[in-house]
Amino acid sequence: MTAFILRRLLWLPVLLFFISLITFALGVYGPGDPLQVLLGLRANPETIERLRREYGFDQPFHIQYLNYVTNALQGNFGYSLVKYRDQPVGALIAQALPVTIQLNLVAIFLGLGIGVPLGLIAGLKRDSWIDLLIRGIVIAGISLPIIFLNPVLTFLFSRRHDLVFAAANLKFSIGPILPMVQGYWDGIFSAKVILPAFIESLGIIAVMTRQMRAGMIEVLSEDYIRTARAKGLRERTVILRHAMRNALIPIATILGLMMGGLVAGSFLVENWFGVPGVGQLAFDALFARDYYITMALVLLIAVAYVFSNLVVDITYGLLDPRIRKA
Amino acid sequence: MSNSENTGGNRWLIGIIVILLVALCGAVCVGGGVLYFLMQPGSSPLAQPAPGFGATPPAPGKQPTARAPVAPSRNILRLPGGTDPRTLDPAQVNDTNAGEYVAEIFSGLVMLDQNLKVVPDIAEKWDVSEDRKTYTFYLRKEVKFHDGRPVTAQDFKYSIERVANPATLSPTAENYLGDIIGVREKLSRKAAEVSGVQVVDDYTVKITIDAPKSYFLAKLTFPTAYIVDKNNVERGGRTWTDKPNGTGPFKLKEYVRAQRIILAKNENYYGESKPKLDEVQFILSGGSAMTMYENGDLESVYVTISDIERVSDPNSPLNKQLFIGPSLSTGFIVFNTRKPPFDDPKVRQAFALAIDRQKVIDVVYRKMPLVASTILPPGMPGYAEPANKLTYDPAKAKQLLAESKYAGKLPDITWTTIGAGGSAAQNVQVMAGMLKDNLGARVSIQQTDDASFFNTIDDPTKNPYQMFDVGWAADYVDPQNFLDILFRSTSTQNWASYGNPEVDKLLDQAALEKDSTTRFKLYQQAEQLILTDAPVIPFSHSREYWLTKPYVKGMIYPPIIIPRLKYVSIER
Amino acid sequence: MAQSDLFATRRQSAQAYILRRILTNPPAALGAIVIGLMFVTALFAPFIAPYAYDQQNLDQIEKPPSAAHWFGTDALGRDMFSRIVWGARSAVFVILMVTLVNLALGIPLGALAGYLEGWADTIIMRVADILFAFPGLLFVFFVASTIKPGVMHWARSSGLSELANTGYLDYAVVILALGVIGWAGLARLIRAQVLTIKQREFVLGARAIGVPTSRIIARHILPNAVTPIIVAMSMGLGDIALSEGYLSFLGIGLQPPAPSWGNIIAENAGRYWRQFPQMIWLVFIPGLVLAAIVFAFNFFGDGLNEALNPEISD
Repeated sequence: MTAFILRRLLWLPVLLFFISLITFALGVYGPGDPLQVLLGLRANPETIERLRREYGFDQPFHIQYLNYVTNALQGNFGYSLVKYRDQPVGALIAQALPVTIQLNLVAIFLGLGIGVPLGLIAGLKRDSWIDLLIRGIVIAGISLPIIFLNPVLTFLFSRRHDLVFAAANLKFSIGPILPMVQGYWDGIFSAKVILPAFIESLGIIAVMTRQMRAGMIEVLSEDYIRTARAKGLRERTVILRHAMRNALIPIATILGLMMGGLVAGSFLVENWFGVPGVGQLAFDALFARDYYITMALVLLIAVAYVFSNLVVDITYGLLDPRIRKA
Repeated sequence: MSNSENTGGNRWLIGIIVILLVALCGAVCVGGGVLYFLMQPGSSPLAQPAPGFGATPPAPGKQPTARAPVAPSRNILRLPGGTDPRTLDPAQVNDTNAGEYVAEIFSGLVMLDQNLKVVPDIAEKWDVSEDRKTYTFYLRKEVKFHDGRPVTAQDFKYSIERVANPATLSPTAENYLGDIIGVREKLSRKAAEVSGVQVVDDYTVKITIDAPKSYFLAKLTFPTAYIVDKNNVERGGRTWTDKPNGTGPFKLKEYVRAQRIILAKNENYYGESKPKLDEVQFILSGGSAMTMYENGDLESVYVTISDIERVSDPNSPLNKQLFIGPSLSTGFIVFNTRKPPFDDPKVRQAFALAIDRQKVIDVVYRKMPLVASTILPPGMPGYAEPANKLTYDPAKAKQLLAESKYAGKLPDITWTTIGAGGSAAQNVQVMAGMLKDNLGARVSIQQTDDASFFNTIDDPTKNPYQMFDVGWAADYVDPQNFLDILFRSTSTQNWASYGNPEVDKLLDQAALEKDSTTRFKLYQQAEQLILTDAPVIPFSHSREYWLTKPYVKGMIYPPIIIPRLKYVSIER
Repeated sequence: MAQSDLFATRRQSAQAYILRRILTNPPAALGAIVIGLMFVTALFAPFIAPYAYDQQNLDQIEKPPSAAHWFGTDALGRDMFSRIVWGARSAVFVILMVTLVNLALGIPLGALAGYLEGWADTIIMRVADILFAFPGLLFVFFVASTIKPGVMHWARSSGLSELANTGYLDYAVVILALGVIGWAGLARLIRAQVLTIKQREFVLGARAIGVPTSRIIARHILPNAVTPIIVAMSMGLGDIALSEGYLSFLGIGLQPPAPSWGNIIAENAGRYWRQFPQMIWLVFIPGLVLAAIVFAFNFFGDGLNEALNPEISD
């Protein structure tokens, strides 16, 4: 087991090397040029040439790459070229990362809080109309395009909606609930987090519900549940004490996998709701060809991914000796 | 999923480990988040309502923290900030978004007033030598940085040399200061000093430029030539603008990235119009600015196309708060005159006549911009209504196309446009439809992001695009900024690869002409020649639309970067 | 791995059985119908659409749904119904092509990795790791925007400017980007399947009598790994449709006026959402159509999964 973990960890530098090389090459050779974006239509050839020289962009690729790696190993990931000119990339990521992690944590908690009970009920009432309804809602959740959900949800909360019940002569007005859609991002203690977290949690809800339902169905058919029932234990005890506990184990594995995803933000959501997280930073950096930022973000996400994968692989490795060889 | 039972014990163990790991990670993150917000000035997570679908908005005024937009109990102006400025360093500014803040925090020798005339700022007056190459500026004696240090001629020299220092990596050094003798030498490390800037005494500075240039003073109004504090720059390192020490009418009070920029009044401001507002808050990336304005959370806002019809309705209460101002810009449809079929002027003229620009502006832009008939925008000196305006004439367009060498064999055309998202290209879609209907031209559209676009049109001799659209806004108020830069055959911004020796000659004459009336006449002649050759179709002159609350006086949205907030006051 | 054995014994009547399972599962049946409808629409788009997708009528803009325009007209007076019908064609084309690219890359690579193990496995799986390590859609977007100017330039300079102007290259870029990224997940799945199947008696037996590797993989291993592939693919189709929408939304996919549901949403939902309820049809119809298709694929995949693995629905 130790050897297995070590081998996977030794892969990390190799993986990072390849990823950084590819990303750097895309930055250097890809279409567009950060300086061109910076200068826009007013690009003076003299200015471009001077800035290229001063930044060392006229150097051969391997020298540029080596310089980057040398600096990066010393903790200097360069400075933003365009978007936040002259700000250290490390500081920019240090500002964006907590935002995305917070948003994702809220999304995961929402996903757990909604998905697990739904899956539990669906699993217990397998093939009933409740099961069907829950699965329908959950699948509908992941089917709605984010580009459609964003404007519709924003609209719902940024206007007053009058509900008129003519028969009872009643009129309710709901909204606008502006703190949810307005103002800047202000952390997980503000209402602004709800909509983006909800949209990001839809996928998690789907996974959790599905997993929980499958887990419950599997566990309920196991011998020891039948034994417990046969012993005359109350149904509630059987489900809570025995079945649910076991069905929750794969959920834990999924949570482990999601740890890697914590650092990656959905730029479609972050962009729309003005969440200054990793997704938005990456999006801005890509569009501006601000490739020192892109580099650092890709490396960060790769490291997080490798570690979360390692956790999962270890789990599987313990479970199934055949995979351990890989 | 394996159902072997002998691993049951293991599975429990693993599950617990993973849950603990997740919990640990979560705890660290939540803890970090709590700490982060406790450290934010004037905030406490406990003071905020808990998140939930029933969360009510914090009552305005009851929570005078910096976190929620506060009702203007004092003299506070709240504006939408849009995206974060790229920089607050005058040497790095090259767009209006950043310039807007920098022009309030810093200032230079000269500035533009509300009428876009060059007026004294830190310099109280100046002399120009007989050969129009040497400018002597006499500085005001009472000018101080925000920290109280007096400003002298040495500070100006330091600021110029800092921009000319290649290590500063200024993107605007050549464009705005390149006329000063010695700047280019220092930029290419051939000189240690800028010889064209001489300190005569503490309050006199002499600037020498390479040739007489009527627009030189206008260039000095740009942030590149603003004065910065040497101590501030050298102590602050690369991120010195986190705490900038400028000379402008406002000081930077607070900047939280992606949240807010707060400017506070500079009590010791030297200028004639003292700032009247105590504070200006820019709300960055705060959702829909229009909604915030309508809810009383902003004092002024830009009107976008989504709201223009509602706001323009004379019955709307918003209509009384609407202002319209010019922006010194022209949108062009550019033909690459090196690429078939646009190497034939007849084809270009036919295309120009086949597009109903007024219709496009009515439908796609909801009448917001003006139809352009000239290259120079209205408001630019030298602008004149043309005698024969370009009009929509499909019949004549057909005839011209039939006379061209591509008659009956017009190749397929690709129109490249900057854009992400379908709606970006709506204008192009309409015009492509018109070209198809009127001329039978097959025009397909290719959207591209600005990085690739700028990179491609940067070198007109190698530009593969056949046809594209691009807008140009004035950097300074002089026709040279449009005609010379965009249509001189040797210019790098000559996107159409247009070359007409007669035009070049007129531009040369105009550059040397002393008398401004004759000079503008020369520019108009050149403009007429260009319009006849039709390397571009002038499409539109955009206009600014904004709403301002009735209790806010003096709010302007100038077409060029100028310090504007000192004119604004709140009166109720 | 009990379910594979169950499946093996049931193979004779498998197709009839699966069909029955799906048809008796209402959501899956509904999904199948919606998918079928989309394919029919895509195939017969020119006959179904009453107008050309790019026919503008600038005097009839933003009209609500009527008899002449079932889904109303958009900002340029184009018939929304016709645009959405033609959008189905784009969606089907992209979904099919991306799936093909995914399968063409994922199956051989996954099977090789699982079967050969050793260094081949290491290389393939680490490349998959690299692809996985990049952040999903953002990476697709990155690749698409990186290769697009190159592809366009190449097409123009090699005398294919006709092709560059027709929009087929826009499809190609989307397909390439989604396909190149998407194979990794499939390869992993197949590798895991192959790893378990090849331990079974019939494969060990075939190996012992010297059947060549390629034949073992093609004849013995892949047919047994087909179930999870089908399930994963049918679930993934919805994601492909969504990704295509997002790419077009960002301006990288199909170019206007060619309709794709993504750029129809971008053009309308992005612009008109503040003008509810006047323009509600322009926001809801394209969004719900795309949602309905993804929904259908998901439900169909779910139903297929249940039908193929009746004991455990994962």
